Amino acid sequence: MFHLIKYSIRVKLRNFETIFWPLVFPLLMATLFYFAFGRIEEADFETVRTAVVMEKDSSDKLQENLENMVKSEGEIFREFLTEIEESEEHLIQTEEMTEKEAEAALRRKDISGIFYTDGEIRLTVGANGIPESILQSLLESYENGKQTLLTVREARPKGMWAAMEQMSKYESLVEQVSLGGRTTNGNAQFFYALIAMACLYGTFIGLGSALWLQADLMPLAARRCATPTSKLALILSEMCSSFFLHFINVMILVLYIRYVLGQEFAGSLPEMMLVVLAGCIIGVSMGIFIGSISKFGEGVKVALMLGISMSCSFFAGLMNGDMKNVVEQHIPILNRLNPAAVVADAFYCINVYDDRSRYFRSLMILSVMAAVLLAASFVKIRRERYDSL
Amino acid sequence: MIQIENLVKRYDNLVALNHLNLQIEEGEIFGLLGPNGSGKTTAINCMLALLKYDKGSIRIFGEEMSPDNYKAKQQIGIVLQNVAVFEELTVYENIDYFCGLYIQNKEKRKKLVEEAIHFVGLEEYRKVRPKKLSGGLLRRLNIACGIAHKPRLIIMDEPTVAVDPQSRNRILEGIKELNQQGATIIYTSHYMEEVEQICTRIAILDHGRVIAVGTKEELKSMIKTGETVTVEAVALKQEHLQGLKNLPSVFEVQYEEQVLTVRCTGAKHNLIRILNYLQEREIAFGRVYSELPTLNDVFLEITGKQLRD
Repeated sequence: MFHLIKYSIRVKLRNFETIFWPLVFPLLMATLFYFAFGRIEEADFETVRTAVVMEKDSSDKLQENLENMVKSEGEIFREFLTEIEESEEHLIQTEEMTEKEAEAALRRKDISGIFYTDGEIRLTVGANGIPESILQSLLESYENGKQTLLTVREARPKGMWAAMEQMSKYESLVEQVSLGGRTTNGNAQFFYALIAMACLYGTFIGLGSALWLQADLMPLAARRCATPTSKLALILSEMCSSFFLHFINVMILVLYIRYVLGQEFAGSLPEMMLVVLAGCIIGVSMGIFIGSISKFGEGVKVALMLGISMSCSFFAGLMNGDMKNVVEQHIPILNRLNPAAVVADAFYCINVYDDRSRYFRSLMILSVMAAVLLAASFVKIRRERYDSL
Repeated sequence: MIQIENLVKRYDNLVALNHLNLQIEEGEIFGLLGPNGSGKTTAINCMLALLKYDKGSIRIFGEEMSPDNYKAKQQIGIVLQNVAVFEELTVYENIDYFCGLYIQNKEKRKKLVEEAIHFVGLEEYRKVRPKKLSGGLLRRLNIACGIAHKPRLIIMDEPTVAVDPQSRNRILEGIKELNQQGATIIYTSHYMEEVEQICTRIAILDHGRVIAVGTKEELKSMIKTGETVTVEAVALKQEHLQGLKNLPSVFEVQYEEQVLTVRCTGAKHNLIRILNYLQEREIAFGRVYSELPTLNDVFLEITGKQLRD
């Protein structure tokens, strides 16, 4: 048995399809995800330079709108900009200029926009782009705040000052916290779906094993079946080596995501390993099953496997983070039957929800699926005599 | 050693083996000769218990052959028509892998693998993967994987297909050597020259049944043709052809495109008689050939068609 397993692993390790798709491809995808999300999260935007024109400011006051205020709207807006400028993000850098100086600077592209604070607050930009969008967002944010204050004044004039105090502090008041008390990372779901996809890519390893076991599919299998080594020993050795190898593949991916890419997993590693193991058994068994159900060519079977594993991963949220929730709302049974979704859900249970019962339910579903697939695969490949070769 | 009785195998409406009967004795190089589709490979696969059959029985080493007759399988080596080795393993690893399916003892296996490598002359290619081997070397590896465990019975299904003449001769010499070392060999081929060269007994198959069996001499003696004389001659008339046909032991005369073909029975001096006849009538002739009957002649005479049709 050791001889069979040793060579089975050696063959798989040197086979392009059983290494690239189950191991290299998910690692590449994880790296791609890391850079894609990393750029959005940690993007180091350049500080947006902008001019503030306030020549006619002194004549226009907000007195007609804000009875208790002594500051003009222009002053308030400039304070708002100063808050932004002094914040940790250093989003903008403002400079007071005359209208002519500002327009000249805008033409020279020294600045991205001009805020006019002489009366109604206005913004002029010289182009379309991210800096200009940032300035536009700031203006909109200010206008929204102003509108809120006006509404407060109408409804509860006494709370006006408190409202202004609150609004003058530009800070995020919302912190995203999971039900289980663990901080969520919006990108984690993609990595969970990716790990689930990697588990299902065990189909490639399983397919190879199935082909090497059936004498009617490959001369190599015929030669093996004609030897005194029992078919059961051949099947068990192929399954053991496939599960072992793919488990290592996916654990490499998990550790790569955790320690190289720095994606946080709040749950314990042994719990994650258990999910990975179940996922790997399902992936490999699916491959063996697909490999043994018919006499389709290898190309057709590979296409079938890719189609199934990618569809499962898609519905588990690999390409669209909301997909799993959409499926849960409309066809919840699909999330229970889709192995990729169950694997991803089990990861959520460990890392986000901290929900033991749901975790064990996911494990149970995976175990039943694995048992059904293994039994079906075994029935298909245990044949010893064939109708035709 | 092998006894096949009334073996019938059908693929839907096609009868691949039609009441096939064979008896193969220990120590033979037994040739299964027949055109493509005659049932040679099907018979082999039935013997190896890989293929279901509809009727009949196969006994090897005195026991009914079945997928779980591991005792019998232990003593059989197979060399399939298609090269069946792992692309991912080296020459050494492939032989070691297949030998390991028969031999558990690591030390013994190591020795056997080395012997097999030496036997097929792949010493320089131990660490080379099959992809980098030529067709001939690949066939030799295929053979080494089948014989490394020193089986008592070796079944070879067209092992020389698509092999260069040099490798073919080496393979054929190797088969004779294996036989001298004590192995019984079943050798299928549609190359009659190969079968004639190495086989001690031959069965000719057509449409899934044995149409003739015996040593090559026995097979050739079964047919009327004992000698075929071919003469390049010009301007032969009908009366000359009739005269040639009336010569003793001549039973068929053909004359096409100035080539005269005379088929004679096994009697002696056929060539001299034919040439004398031509000289006496002052008929000019060029090159002359005399051929003894081939297995193709045997097949032709029994079935009315060429072996390679």
